[in-house]
Amino acid sequence: MIENFLAGSAALFGDPLTIGIFVFGVIGGMLFGAIPGVSMLTLAAILLPFSAALEPAQGVMLFAVIYCTGTYGGAITAILFNIPGSPENAPTSFDGYPMTQNGQSGKAVGAAVLCSAIGGIASALIMMAATEPLAQWAIKNIGPPEIFALVFFGLIVAASVGARTIWKGWMSVLIGLLIATIGQDPVGGINRYNFGLPDLAAGIAFVPAILGFFAVSEIFVQAEKKASGKYKAPKVSMTFPSFLELWMHKLAVFRSILVGFFCGILPGIGATLAAFMSYGEAVRWSKNKEEFGKGKLEGVISAETANNAATGAAMIPLLALGLPGGALTAMMVAVFQMHDLQPGPLVFMLSPDLIWIVFAAMFYANLSILIIGVLETKTILNLLKIPFQFLAPLILMLATVGAYISRGLVLDVMVMFLAGIMGYLLRRSGFSIPGIVLGLILGKIGEQNFAQGMQMVHYDLGEYFSRPICTILIVAGVITLLSSIYRAFATSNKPV
Amino acid sequence: MGRLTRGSWIEFGIFLAIVAVFYGFSFEFNQTIEIYIFGATAWPRVVIALLLIATLGNLWFQYKNGSASQGTIGQSNDDQPDLSDPGTIPRMIAVLLTPFLFAYLLKPVGIYASAPFFIAAIIWLFGERRWKPIVIMTVVIYVIFIGLFLVILNAPLPQGNVSPFYDFSAWILTLNAKLQGL
Repeated sequence: MIENFLAGSAALFGDPLTIGIFVFGVIGGMLFGAIPGVSMLTLAAILLPFSAALEPAQGVMLFAVIYCTGTYGGAITAILFNIPGSPENAPTSFDGYPMTQNGQSGKAVGAAVLCSAIGGIASALIMMAATEPLAQWAIKNIGPPEIFALVFFGLIVAASVGARTIWKGWMSVLIGLLIATIGQDPVGGINRYNFGLPDLAAGIAFVPAILGFFAVSEIFVQAEKKASGKYKAPKVSMTFPSFLELWMHKLAVFRSILVGFFCGILPGIGATLAAFMSYGEAVRWSKNKEEFGKGKLEGVISAETANNAATGAAMIPLLALGLPGGALTAMMVAVFQMHDLQPGPLVFMLSPDLIWIVFAAMFYANLSILIIGVLETKTILNLLKIPFQFLAPLILMLATVGAYISRGLVLDVMVMFLAGIMGYLLRRSGFSIPGIVLGLILGKIGEQNFAQGMQMVHYDLGEYFSRPICTILIVAGVITLLSSIYRAFATSNKPV
Repeated sequence: MGRLTRGSWIEFGIFLAIVAVFYGFSFEFNQTIEIYIFGATAWPRVVIALLLIATLGNLWFQYKNGSASQGTIGQSNDDQPDLSDPGTIPRMIAVLLTPFLFAYLLKPVGIYASAPFFIAAIIWLFGERRWKPIVIMTVVIYVIFIGLFLVILNAPLPQGNVSPFYDFSAWILTLNAKLQGL
C-alpha cells in the first residue's frame, strides 16, 4: 500500500499541470463551499464538461479533491450564514450558527478546519487500505443481480434524505428515475419518450441536468432571497480555538471518525447520515445535552469530523462497486464515463495509476484543509464580501457554456434552464434535489443490471434470492422501506 | 378538505399530469424484446405506478397535516419560499424567464452578442440599480468569459446565424485569431 501511495504521490506532484489541477481543486472546493448560494456541487457541475479535456486521472482526482475540500468549505456557510453548503453540513449549523451569533465564528470555523482535516485524513488512510481488497472480493462476488440489489437499497435510503416529508423524498427519487427512462432502453435500444425530438434519442444528458438542478436552481433561490430581502451578510471574527479546547474533545473526534466512516460507505446517503448520526451521538453521550443547539463547540466538532470522515468511505462503493453514494460521487461516475471508463472493481486492474493518484490526492487535500484552511480562511472570509448580484451572472455564464460545450446543442442549454426552474420550484416545495439526481444517475444503472440480473437467474426469484448478497440487500432495503412507510403514516396520524 | 391548500392541488395536478403523459406515451414503445421478457415498458411503468402511489400518499399526508415537515435526514430548513412582498413574484418570473430568453436567442444571435445584455439583466434583476457598477461588472464578467473560453480554451460557442450578430461574432473570432497569431 505504501509503495502504491508513494507512486500515486509521485505521479500527482511530478507533473506541473496535475499539481495545478490539484491546487485549483483544493482552493476551488473551499471557495465554492464557502460562498453562500453556491456549493462544491455548483463548481463540480460547472467543471464536469471541461473535465473531458483532462486525462482521466486528472479529471477524477479533481472531483475527489473538490469533494474533500468542498465538504469543509460548506461548513463555513453553515457557521456564518446558517446556510449549509451541502446537506452533510446541516448539523454543523445547529451549533455553528449560534456560535456566530455569540461572536465566536472564528472558534467554530477553526474547529471545523481542524476536525475536517483529522476526519478526512483518517478516512483517507482507511480507504487506501480497504478499497482494493474489497474490489478484489467484488470481482468474484458482485454481478448484475448484486448491483441491482445495491441500487435498490441505495435508492430506498436516498428517498429519506433531504425532502420535507418522506412522501416527497420518494417522489423526488421517482422523478429522477422517470427522467432516466428518456432515451434508448438499455437492453433492446428501443427509443423511449423522445416526444418527436431526435436529440432526445440519446436521453437527457447528465451535465445540463446536473448544472440546472444544482447551480441554476441555487441562483434562482438566492434571487428570491434578494427580492424578498432575506439575504444577510455574515458577522466575521477570527479567534481560533485553543489546543486545550480541542484536546478536551478527543473522544468526540474519535467517535465521529468511526460513525462517519461506517455511515459513509452506505450508497445514497453516506456523509449526510454520518453528520446527523455523529451529532446525535454527541448529544446522546453528553452530560450537558441542553447546551446543544445553543452554540456548543462539540456540536461543530462532531458534525465536521464525521462528514469529512465519510468522504473517503464514499469512495469505496464508487471505486470498488461502481456505485455513487451521493450527488458529487454521481458526477464522478459521469467523469469516468466521459473517458470511456466504468468505475468498479475492474478499474483496479485496468487503471491502478488512476486509483492511487486519486487516493494520494484525497490524502493531501485533507492535509491542505489543515494548512491552507488556517492560512486562507481569512481570505475566504473576505471574498464572502463580493455581492451576490455580481457572482450570479458569472456562474450563469459558466453554466451556459458548460451545458452547451459537451454536445454543441442549444437544446442542452434549454434543458439546463428548464432543470433549473424545475429544481427551484421543487426545492421551494420541499422536494430533494440530491434525490432527483441520484434517481437520474442510478436509474439507467439499475435498469440495466436488473435486466442482466434477471437474464442471469433465468427470471427465477428463487435463484435470485439464493445469492446471499442480493438477499441481504433486498431484505435491508425492504426493512428500510417498511420503516419509512411506518414513519410516513405514524407522523400523519399526529397533527404536526 | 382537511388541510389541503390550492398549492397542494396544483402540486397533485402536475404530478398526475406527469404520470398520465408518461403512461400514455409508454404505448408508443410497447414492443417485445427477444432477449428480455419484460420488454421496454416494464421498468418505466413500474416507476410510473410507484410515482402515482407516492403522489396519492403525498396528497393524503397534506390532507392530514398541511405543509408540515417530517424532519427527514439532511432536510434544509430553508426550503420555504418567501413571496410575501408583492414585488417578489413578478421579479422572480423575470429571473426565471430571462435565462430562457437568453437560451432561445443563442441560435440566432449567438453568445458573443447576447452575453453582455444577459449579464447586465441578471445584475439588474438581482437588485443592483446603480448604472456604473452594472456597466463595470458587465465588462469585467464579459472579459473573463471571453478570455477563459475563447482565448484560453478556444471553445466552439454559438455564433448566431442572423446579421449583424453573426458578423459581430465573426469579428470577435477574427480578433482572437490575430491575438493567437501574435
